[in-house]
Amino acid sequence: MTDLDIGRAWLVDPTVAREGPGEIVVRDGILEAVTWLEREEADGIDAGGVVVAPGFIDLHAHLREPGNEDAETVASGLAAAAHGGFTTVCAMPNTTPTLDEPGVLARIRTAAAASGSPVELLAHGAVSTGRDGETLAALGELADAGVVGFSDDGAPVRSASILRNALAYAGALGLPIVDHPEDPTLTDGAEANEGFVSTVLGLRGWPTAAEEAAVGRDLAILADVVRDVPGARLHLTHLSTAAALELVRRAKAAGLPVTCDVTPHHLALSDEWIAGARRFAWEAGEEGDPWRDDALVAAPYGSSLRVNPPLRTPADALACLAALADGTADAIATDHAPHTEVDKMVEFGEAANGISGIETALGLVLEAVDAGHLTLSRAIEALTAGPAAILGRRSRRNGSVGLVEGALADLVVFDRAERWMVSADRLASRGKNSPLIGLDLPGRVLVTIAGGQVAYEADLVTAR
Amino acid sequence: MSAVIDDAATTDVVVPSVDVAPESQPVGWRHRHLLDVDGLTAIDLDLVMRTADAMREVLARPIAKVPALRGRNVTILFYEASTRTRVSFEVAAKNLSADVVNIAAATSSVTKGESLIDTIRTVEALGAQMLVIRHSVSGAPYLAAEVFSGSVLNGGDGWHAHPTQALLDLYTMRSRLDGGSVAGRKIVILGDVLHSRVARSNIWSLTAAGADLWLCGPPTLLRGFEAWAGRGAAAGRRFHVTSSVEDALRDADVVMALRIQRERMASGLLPSLREYAARYGLTAARLALAKPAALVMHPGPMNEGVEIAAEVAAGPQSVITDQVTNGVAIRMALLYLLAGVASTGSGASPAANASPAA
Repeated sequence: MTDLDIGRAWLVDPTVAREGPGEIVVRDGILEAVTWLEREEADGIDAGGVVVAPGFIDLHAHLREPGNEDAETVASGLAAAAHGGFTTVCAMPNTTPTLDEPGVLARIRTAAAASGSPVELLAHGAVSTGRDGETLAALGELADAGVVGFSDDGAPVRSASILRNALAYAGALGLPIVDHPEDPTLTDGAEANEGFVSTVLGLRGWPTAAEEAAVGRDLAILADVVRDVPGARLHLTHLSTAAALELVRRAKAAGLPVTCDVTPHHLALSDEWIAGARRFAWEAGEEGDPWRDDALVAAPYGSSLRVNPPLRTPADALACLAALADGTADAIATDHAPHTEVDKMVEFGEAANGISGIETALGLVLEAVDAGHLTLSRAIEALTAGPAAILGRRSRRNGSVGLVEGALADLVVFDRAERWMVSADRLASRGKNSPLIGLDLPGRVLVTIAGGQVAYEADLVTAR
Repeated sequence: MSAVIDDAATTDVVVPSVDVAPESQPVGWRHRHLLDVDGLTAIDLDLVMRTADAMREVLARPIAKVPALRGRNVTILFYEASTRTRVSFEVAAKNLSADVVNIAAATSSVTKGESLIDTIRTVEALGAQMLVIRHSVSGAPYLAAEVFSGSVLNGGDGWHAHPTQALLDLYTMRSRLDGGSVAGRKIVILGDVLHSRVARSNIWSLTAAGADLWLCGPPTLLRGFEAWAGRGAAAGRRFHVTSSVEDALRDADVVMALRIQRERMASGLLPSLREYAARYGLTAARLALAKPAALVMHPGPMNEGVEIAAEVAAGPQSVITDQVTNGVAIRMALLYLLAGVASTGSGASPAANASPAA
């Protein structure tokens, strides 16, 4: 089993709202000692260097198995997760066949066991059979088999009536409905966020209203269901617009049992990137114009930037950061969506939606931290305690993600000062569809320990 | 790149002698590809216009042909049905004595089962040195330019850009307007702006040249342009967006009508062609709101009786056939200028100065 000594690092434990200099000792996979150093002992240790945090939890990842193993397998997806610092991953059910009955869940669990990865694999089941949006999937059987929620992700739960029934039925099972909010009648053929950039580039507009109308629908239905089924819970995934987040903010204030997540790409990147800009949302500012600002440094129409929901304006990205900061957004989820070259190396409008993002999530989030738009502790919380609270006891970590002495070690060690260049070779995912390839990101992961075992270690760790 | 320029400015442009090959003389052109007009400077525009003047002179000769691109392979790859633009490019290339290969790929690459990248590599292996591409997906020529080792000339991509059309439109306006400049002139683009690559490219070139540009059409076909106008204003690219035909046409110097397509009705953007013609069609009565000598333009092909009345299209103010002739001259000019860069390789860096090609 695993032994690891990390002396003189910056520890972050969101469960006790504590961060500071410290040391950890792992023996035989158990987090044996967590020592918080006093000021005089901590000379030279700051939050800008090596950080030890609980292992990250991704509520939303597409592992593509079964059905599209050329894009990703459970094994390659878990390896990618570990490289990104994640020790728990929730697979989405839009596989082929759909994860709408326990057999498919058993199959991916077998694949996870065969991979030897210690990363915890969880899964969402489909809301509707075959994700057709018309008939309820085997929710109860799936719950018994251990799914952590239900989602027709890739698409919204199309029928309002099915959503209403699913919220009630799943609520009695103690599980959330995870909806991908999109009104498909407003996004037929859409290619990029509707606005200045899409207009200049001649891309079919994807209006923010498509997301906001769906969030409004979902919240209205939730308010209705929760009167009869107090256990009903709605989780809105990959929210991307300022107004959608504002709807959730108000719904939470009104006491509705709703949670939501935002993705690293929606909080850091913007639609400007499709025009060829490569600056972060906070560098562009709300009135940025990449043509005026001479910010166009790459070829336009990079198909790795095509994603659903689309990259929005810099103002929307800043709204995602503000929602994380004030707790409106509960979690950062990657929406890791690997694709093959065949599906991506084509014209922008014909490319598959999705970004391979589980390995670059930490880097993008740290860029936002470095720029002062998020505190390190809140960022770590949104990657750990936030999603853990949504999963509850469905994770083997049982809702507890702190640096707790005596517990099975589940942690990530990364160096904020060390930047690494994103390249196809360095991504463990089979999906090389990252718009960050060729760029360097802060926070190289040095070691990831999941369930007491090393899930990933950078070359240099053995030398330390 | 974003500065407003005076299109009539006198610049030190050396107009090439188009009777001989571009690589045999200094030509101040530095772009390897022509994918959009957003990156063209005042000097670039002036050079294109003056080279087109020289090409007009060639076209007026008894034998309208020069040997400038002899032995060079120009491949015309069209993924969208087109007659006039394709033929215009073909005539332009042949007038320059280039070898022309025409490929009509009626369907998109995905439907066809071969990727665009594979097609470009195949075309290059078959000898293409210059590639003219038209594609229904916005941005496709940029993908082509990433893999093609010669020059790519965008013949129209999706809703995005149609640079040769915008340049021939500017050329036509400059040659027909008193003073030879569009600066300060009220120019109206009327119709289906949303789906129009012609409108988008004209926004760049006409605002750069200082025109007072107005976009007019039903609100469903102007979606997004208010956002562009608002953002562009800070960069000095000012244009107006209105659904009032009267406001747009009043005292206009140029009115350009755009084609309206039947599928716009199916997608619920318009009630009917009849209603469109009644409210937005360029009729003689509406044209009377413009200045008496206002120019009437249309990029073609026209739906006479819908976006433009037949009597207006064929009337004395129409310069639509001029646009067609000028299109050949502009395309000859661009093929010529790009060939000079491609043959010397001096256009590899966009930051490179317009140094004389050795």
